[in-house]
Amino acid sequence: MMSFRGRMARYAASGSKGIAVGRIAWRQQLAYKTDLLLRASFLLLILFVFEQLWSAAYGGDTSKVIGGFTLKQIVWYLVFTEALTLAVPPLAARIEEEVKNGEIAVRLTRPMSYVGYHYASYMAEAAFRFFVHLAVGGLIAWALVGAPAFGAGWADLLLLSAGALSILFLLHAIVALSAFWVEETSGMSFVLNKLQFTVGGMLLPLDLMPEWLQRICAWLPFQAALYFPARAGVQAHSADVLRDLAIQIGWLIALAAIVTWIYRRGVGKLHVNGG
Amino acid sequence: MRALTTHGLSKTFKVKRKPEGLSGSVRALFKPEWKDKIAVHSIDLAIEQGETVAFLGPNGAGKSTTIKMLTGILHPTSGEAEVAGFVPWRDRTKLAFRIGTVFGQKSQLWYHLPPIDTFELISRVYELTRADYAARQRDLIERFELGPYLHTPVRKLSLGERMRCEIAASFLHRPQLLFLDEPTIGLDVVVKQRIRELIRERNRREETTVFLTSHDAGDVEELCSRVIVIHHGGVLLDEPVERVKRDVLSRKTVRLTLAEEADLSGMPETAGVDIRESEPGRLVFSVDLKRIGIEEALNAFLGKVRIADLTVEDPPLEEIIKHIYGSQAREEVRS
Amino acid sequence: MSTEANRVGGIWRFLLACWKANFASALEYRLSFFLLAGMMLLNNLIWVFFWQLFFSRFPVVQGWELRDVMILWALSAGGFGWASVLFGNYGRIANIVSSGQLDVYLSQPKPVLLHVLASRMSVTAAGDFLFGWLIFAWVGDHTIRGFLLFVAGLLLTGLLFMGLMIVVGCIAFWYGNSEGIAGQVFNSFITLTTYPSDIFRGVARTLLFTVVPAGFISYLPIGLIRSIDPAFLIAAVSVTFGLMAAGCTLFALGLRRYASGNAITVRQ
Repeated sequence: MMSFRGRMARYAASGSKGIAVGRIAWRQQLAYKTDLLLRASFLLLILFVFEQLWSAAYGGDTSKVIGGFTLKQIVWYLVFTEALTLAVPPLAARIEEEVKNGEIAVRLTRPMSYVGYHYASYMAEAAFRFFVHLAVGGLIAWALVGAPAFGAGWADLLLLSAGALSILFLLHAIVALSAFWVEETSGMSFVLNKLQFTVGGMLLPLDLMPEWLQRICAWLPFQAALYFPARAGVQAHSADVLRDLAIQIGWLIALAAIVTWIYRRGVGKLHVNGG
Repeated sequence: MRALTTHGLSKTFKVKRKPEGLSGSVRALFKPEWKDKIAVHSIDLAIEQGETVAFLGPNGAGKSTTIKMLTGILHPTSGEAEVAGFVPWRDRTKLAFRIGTVFGQKSQLWYHLPPIDTFELISRVYELTRADYAARQRDLIERFELGPYLHTPVRKLSLGERMRCEIAASFLHRPQLLFLDEPTIGLDVVVKQRIRELIRERNRREETTVFLTSHDAGDVEELCSRVIVIHHGGVLLDEPVERVKRDVLSRKTVRLTLAEEADLSGMPETAGVDIRESEPGRLVFSVDLKRIGIEEALNAFLGKVRIADLTVEDPPLEEIIKHIYGSQAREEVRS
Repeated sequence: MSTEANRVGGIWRFLLACWKANFASALEYRLSFFLLAGMMLLNNLIWVFFWQLFFSRFPVVQGWELRDVMILWALSAGGFGWASVLFGNYGRIANIVSSGQLDVYLSQPKPVLLHVLASRMSVTAAGDFLFGWLIFAWVGDHTIRGFLLFVAGLLLTGLLFMGLMIVVGCIAFWYGNSEGIAGQVFNSFITLTTYPSDIFRGVARTLLFTVVPAGFISYLPIGLIRSIDPAFLIAAVSVTFGLMAAGCTLFALGLRRYASGNAITVRQ
């Protein structure tokens, strides 16, 4: 049995490995300038279109409150959900590729957890992209509807975004790890993205949805991945944030358990087939 | 009848020159610097119907550019050409009915479809009548022995099978003139042989003029009756293969694997034998067949070394071309 | 006269052969064909779902109702669909030009632009096309007039997509690698055609009917389907055919430039 100190040392070691992987992944991001530029220009287009759409819907009235949102808040809400959505790297495609070309066998021999490796590299990339999109989207929204005055909302946004990106990682990992069994994961990735899009509240805050749909969404993990941080960003109510945080933690535990279970079974299958 | 004539055919490209560094890139954006690059310089050719011509030269010598001008894809900067009775760049479409092209690396077959589907499409592209297409297809399938592959998607065929389909496809519309670019690249010896035979047969039966570029000396020797070598955009040599063979292809390379280390220091030089590499366990020499037979050449070594294995091969085409350039340069010096 | 008829017949038979080969290629991967087409259909339906949620909050936005936006999606996706199924290369011209793939088409005796366009079929677009008709069946005007107007809308939309992308793709003849820019224009244009034109104000609206002519698609549900607005329709038809003509002319000019090869980087 491992002593307490030994266990702490193991944790510290895997932590520093994770940080090392993250640092490389972060640095690699700088090499993809064109990608970044493309996503930034997409952000510009979509934010502009939606600012126009929401302005029309609100009848140009900046003081009107619909479903708890003013025009300015709803545009900034979109900045936050888009920053999160566009931050997610193509995890499923990567793992599928690793399974197909056998690279996974090499990764499995390394003294580092496979899922842990991907989590570290994912989080570094996602954090980098998130902040870039936040900055670009923020500038655009600032120009379109004015400066934000969300005060504590910023802290809440960052707090809940860490959990949100982790939940997105676990959701995408579930799809990605299915590559152990099926050849194509793009179909499932597609469905996942569409779920984020609708019941995650990417374009439309859940508060604006019909009652029946809101009740369904409350039972799904997707709201914790987009709606929670973005809503907290524009409307700071500390009580809500604590509740959101609790729900996020609950989902993190549940999803992590599912990912671990799938991963164990997948690796078992991989060993049987000899890679 | 002439299949192809050119007179002073030339092509100059303007190439953008980008100065180094960021400031250079910015400057190039607003005021690009252009530099002339002569790709083809005054080429004169006269090829008769039914000839098989090897068109050779090192990379960048202007082969592709010349072929692109002869097929009407590119216009020349100056000069004249007539292919199958047309000026290529003026009557590209009319010419296209009379010529065929095979590019070793670029397939015209549809990757996911069986070859027969591409044949069908080609018959529409070249406007063959149904009856003609059916007869033609039957003939080619039989001669090229394509029966077994005809209904298999191209991606599942081996490279050799694919190449046979590729060449059969290019003969479908009875081209008077066929341009082949590296038709045997990447194939094994047996398949190469078969493909050369098939092209030869078409050439004999239908008087198809063959215009071929290749890096394979075998293609030239066995398929062509005439060799044209270009270098720096101009014609360097234009002679019957027979003569080139006598002059240049008369060299063979012999590789010996030695059973034990040999000491050749005391060996007298043999006329026509040229030692290239001599390492422990390995000996490579070239033999000039005009001066000495293979057997004699080998005799010179027998008894002095113990041979474990031996191969005799044609020199690679690059070497032959280098040899041609070499002798050309010598002649220039002499004259 | 008869030779002219022969020529047209030849081209027609050639196009049919191209489409047959494209379709056969797609069917080689039957499962992924249906999967991809189905995914596109689903994607569009999810957007319709979004709009339903949106309009349940705001029943009328600048005179637009849910039905109009659904018809807009049907036209945009359906028009994009038929164009990309029959002439799937129209969005890839920049790529084809700058990667030197034109030579193959140039060495064959068929009209080069047509041959390029018809040499690919977009599989996902089949789902878009199907989606268009599904929406028409759902909320369209099921009279002969309604049907004809919808078909006219699809035709205009598809031709406008093609015309614009041919013009943009031809940039590659002059500026080399412009795939990135062309792709970006394409995606932005598609996106813009799926939002009601009337939500845009001021300069944005002007741009929508000039530089980025997506407005001629995104006003169709009001200006053609709901009631014919002659001024708009004349403008839309002229812009569409103008772009088509400009595209063909530019392509011909580009080919001449390519053939005379003065400024093209040499790719041996």
